[in-house]
Amino acid sequence: MNYHDYLAGEPLIVTVAPTGGVHGKEAHPNLPETPEEVAEAAAACEEAGASIVHLHARRGNGERAFSRERFQALTEAVRAATDDVIVQHSTGGTGVPLEKRLEPLRTDPAPEMASLDMGPVNRYQHLTSENPRGMVDALHDEMQVRGIKPEMEAFNPGHLNEVHAFLERADVADPPYVNVLLGGGTLTVPRPRNLFNLVENLPDGAVFNTLATGRHQLPLTTMGILLGGHVRVGFEDNLHYRRGERAESNAQLVERTREIAELLGRPVATPAEAREILGI
Amino acid sequence: MTCPYLEYRSEGDGRSFETARAYCSAAGRFVQPMRADLCNDRYDLSHAECEIYLNHESEESDRNGDER
Repeated sequence: MNYHDYLAGEPLIVTVAPTGGVHGKEAHPNLPETPEEVAEAAAACEEAGASIVHLHARRGNGERAFSRERFQALTEAVRAATDDVIVQHSTGGTGVPLEKRLEPLRTDPAPEMASLDMGPVNRYQHLTSENPRGMVDALHDEMQVRGIKPEMEAFNPGHLNEVHAFLERADVADPPYVNVLLGGGTLTVPRPRNLFNLVENLPDGAVFNTLATGRHQLPLTTMGILLGGHVRVGFEDNLHYRRGERAESNAQLVERTREIAELLGRPVATPAEAREILGI
Repeated sequence: MTCPYLEYRSEGDGRSFETARAYCSAAGRFVQPMRADLCNDRYDLSHAECEIYLNHESEESDRNGDER
């Protein structure tokens, strides 16, 4: 994917990550946590132009959950509230053993997509989400068995080495789909030149998504649109609409993305178009 | 063993919630869900990896040392 795809007006896949697993209502009172809240948010985001919803499950008190049962309740609520949105489950989990990280892949039906972290990321002062290659392979093996499209998450440029190596050793369905992340800590330093560089180093034929955190979400996802890629927005990555002003909802962020994309000449993809682009 | 500074509260830090949430009495605020897993020694995590706990314990230790 490249600038020519932008010029050609290729449909833009908007993914929304409405909740994440790190922060909760202590960070934003409108951040959805329960299945009902997430389902309501997902429906509003689908209406606003999102074709993929990236899901994390929570306990009743908002804390992280990884059980198949919790993901099942969540995915059923989302599917009931939405028309055709693509369900993508997170398999991330800082400090969580492999067996629990496999659980989100075991819902019935399986999610159409799931995230696949390609390497380590630091958290807090003494914590690292390690994501060693053996775990990446084990998660992907389960995805293959269940027919789930992996979203390879490159937290930083070095993780693109991992993506290239992974594609050599794993049988990943075409097209490979890579999510490039820019932000603080061990993410790619959030600068425009670094997004260009990430895109330059993608595997041949890869479809990419731009994810940028906090105040970088708006400018860098807009650049991602111009570079012919797809974008992810939502409260998992950013709680603000503009400097000093919190976003009211996930749908508000999706709506803004749709408006920008259409202004720039790219219509947002329907879920059906997104499936076609991603080979689902 | 969970962190000795972990509490579950519906109110505190100037805010209130319908369901009791993890509250760090050492920091005096509600904590993020992922940090709550540290507080609870959940999964492969331990509150001994939490900088708030470590700093608070260190300050307590210094204070006790001063008293001696």
